Amino acid sequence: MTYSTPLWAIAPFGLYLLLIATLPLFFGAFWEHNRNKLIVAALVSAPVLVYLFSGRVGGGEMLLRTTVDYVSFIALLGALFTISGGIHLRGSLAGSSGANTVFLAIGAVLGSVIGTTGASVLLIRPLLRANERRGYTTHIVVFFIFIVSNGAGLLTPLGDPPLFLGFLRGVPFTWTLRLAAPWALVNGVLLCLFTIFDRVIVAREKRSPRPRSSTSPRGTSVTEPLHLDGAVNLLWLLGIVVVVFVMGTYGTALFGDSYLRSVVQILGMVGCAVLSLLTTRREIHLANRFSWAPIIEVAVVFVGVFVTMIPALSFLGERGASLGVTKPWQFFWASGALSSVLDNAPTYLTFASLAVGVTNSGGANLSVENLGALAFHPTGQHLLAAVSCGAVFMGAITYIGNGPNFIVKSIAEQHHVRMPSFFGYTLWSFAILVPLFGIVSHIFF
Amino acid sequence: MIKDILVCLEGSASTEAATRIAIGIARSLSAQMAGLAIIDEPDIRAGSATSIGGASYKHERDDALVADAKKAADDWVALFEQRCRQAGVAARSLEIVGRPAESILTEMEAHHLTVIGRDANFRFETEAHDLRTLNTILHEAMRPVLLVPETTEPELNKTVLVAYDGSGAAKRAITSFAASGIPQGREIHVATVDDNGVVGMEMAERGVAMFRAANVPAKAHNIVSVLSNIDALFKLAKDLGAGLMVMGAFTRSRLRQLFSGSVTRGLVEQTEIPLYLQH
Repeated sequence: MTYSTPLWAIAPFGLYLLLIATLPLFFGAFWEHNRNKLIVAALVSAPVLVYLFSGRVGGGEMLLRTTVDYVSFIALLGALFTISGGIHLRGSLAGSSGANTVFLAIGAVLGSVIGTTGASVLLIRPLLRANERRGYTTHIVVFFIFIVSNGAGLLTPLGDPPLFLGFLRGVPFTWTLRLAAPWALVNGVLLCLFTIFDRVIVAREKRSPRPRSSTSPRGTSVTEPLHLDGAVNLLWLLGIVVVVFVMGTYGTALFGDSYLRSVVQILGMVGCAVLSLLTTRREIHLANRFSWAPIIEVAVVFVGVFVTMIPALSFLGERGASLGVTKPWQFFWASGALSSVLDNAPTYLTFASLAVGVTNSGGANLSVENLGALAFHPTGQHLLAAVSCGAVFMGAITYIGNGPNFIVKSIAEQHHVRMPSFFGYTLWSFAILVPLFGIVSHIFF
Repeated sequence: MIKDILVCLEGSASTEAATRIAIGIARSLSAQMAGLAIIDEPDIRAGSATSIGGASYKHERDDALVADAKKAADDWVALFEQRCRQAGVAARSLEIVGRPAESILTEMEAHHLTVIGRDANFRFETEAHDLRTLNTILHEAMRPVLLVPETTEPELNKTVLVAYDGSGAAKRAITSFAASGIPQGREIHVATVDDNGVVGMEMAERGVAMFRAANVPAKAHNIVSVLSNIDALFKLAKDLGAGLMVMGAFTRSRLRQLFSGSVTRGLVEQTEIPLYLQH
């Protein structure tokens, strides 16, 4: 059998993901500048561009399609980032186990509405303020990352970037609601575990109070009722949901299968973001320490991801069945394992493409460009469900598995919470998450 | 005779005790003091694995932690200078941006004695109980270190226990301690721990002879005990009412420490009285 995509064409994708994971570690000062990130992205993308324009049939069309997907992707992330940056939760709760659990439960739902990044940035500071007077708060932040920054995002394409990538490739907006059972199991068990943990630690603190680090001011704040500033942004958030839902569900009927549909969707999302900027008071952005830097960084880094993954996805679509990953549970663990050390968005597309290849080997004729067909294929839908759950849930296993993990860690450390090291955090996730994912795998895949 | 004492400033309770003891020694020996506060910017800003979009948050976090560290260093220096003024001791302060162990090792070359709180970790990030800086200093310092735990009495009392095992470090500890001026007016006990009482006593006598050569009277002891070396030394210190223990630090190689443990580490971690250590 002959394949149209050569093996070497996937090397830039692998190399780029490796560079994203390691450059911040070994060349932190270099990686800090977006210009340098863009240079790296351009250098790694160059061979792919040459490949696409040197005789590859449909290379230009693939690049155009990818560019539209990229702009849609960044428009959604940018819009959610802008709108959630205009909402500020003032005041604090009591910092009791019950209040903390309720707060995390709210985050577990909110993550699927405003995205795990938006929910994390919105909720982490009030939660830290609420627990300022407590001596040991590490576990609160760790469970926050598990639940709000990751597990929460499974229910809609707005929840987590990988699912939005799937949506851009044709997975219906409401399809992810089918994953409510694993979402409920994971978040429910984590909330129960958190409650037990927190109660034990509160009881221990009462017996022997433990001082915080030498440089942290002992919390002296009093409990203030919560107050939502910038509530008008909830309207713009609803606008995003409507735009994405309508274009995903009725877009083809309204505009046909053309780029016009994507352009309208992008304009709708950008419009909501602009309205948010126009209607949000400056003090709210200041209180949230809002800046464009994170979203610019995301936009720059994902240029390389989108370009280099073009041949990689074709390769997997063509040869999926020969790679040995064929069962849903294998897709769950494989996509999850990779999502835990690489960003989960490209990992999702990689394994979704692999799922297309595996499904095609059973006689189907699906395309990696249209994951919507996979989502309704009798066997393919199980593979896609496994990939979705693996990519979303297991992004929590390390600090770099999902964007908000490291953001939450950084904000917590600014509040003088003693966060575990990279490997220390991984021990937490191996002790708590991996057994839980074993149960998920056993029940659902 | 000690004329210049370096005190490493940091926010732990043991550093409070270290400053108090250092002021007492400086007053009795008419020595000058220098307070050293360190802003560990290199470690705070060290590269770390970040998720996509996390770099700007890391930058913000680093700036915030460096600013906190700078403010804390300013506060500790101001407090140190105030206490020295109140005690009538000549003092100056230093604020250094750098890695704690390297900065302290460089600075201690210019001072006769360095006083450090036992629980000082000099890190403003996440680790609460981090003895890495202290271990590096104790392994590499050429000058003596006085390590002070939080539980130290307000002033050094009149009894000193010298733990002697005949090693080069132990000999250097006796030589520098005998010349420091601290033994003046104090009762010195040199102890060895050896199941063979005769051999142990001979070794202790050799330690006593070194003190005697420096015109410091001392008394020899050998401990034969079922307890571990560490517990046996602590028990003798308690029985004698010692307020200070003198010893050579880390006389075994790091490899041997890995396999057979380290008496120094055990003493450092468990001591309730100051340790005068010389590597």
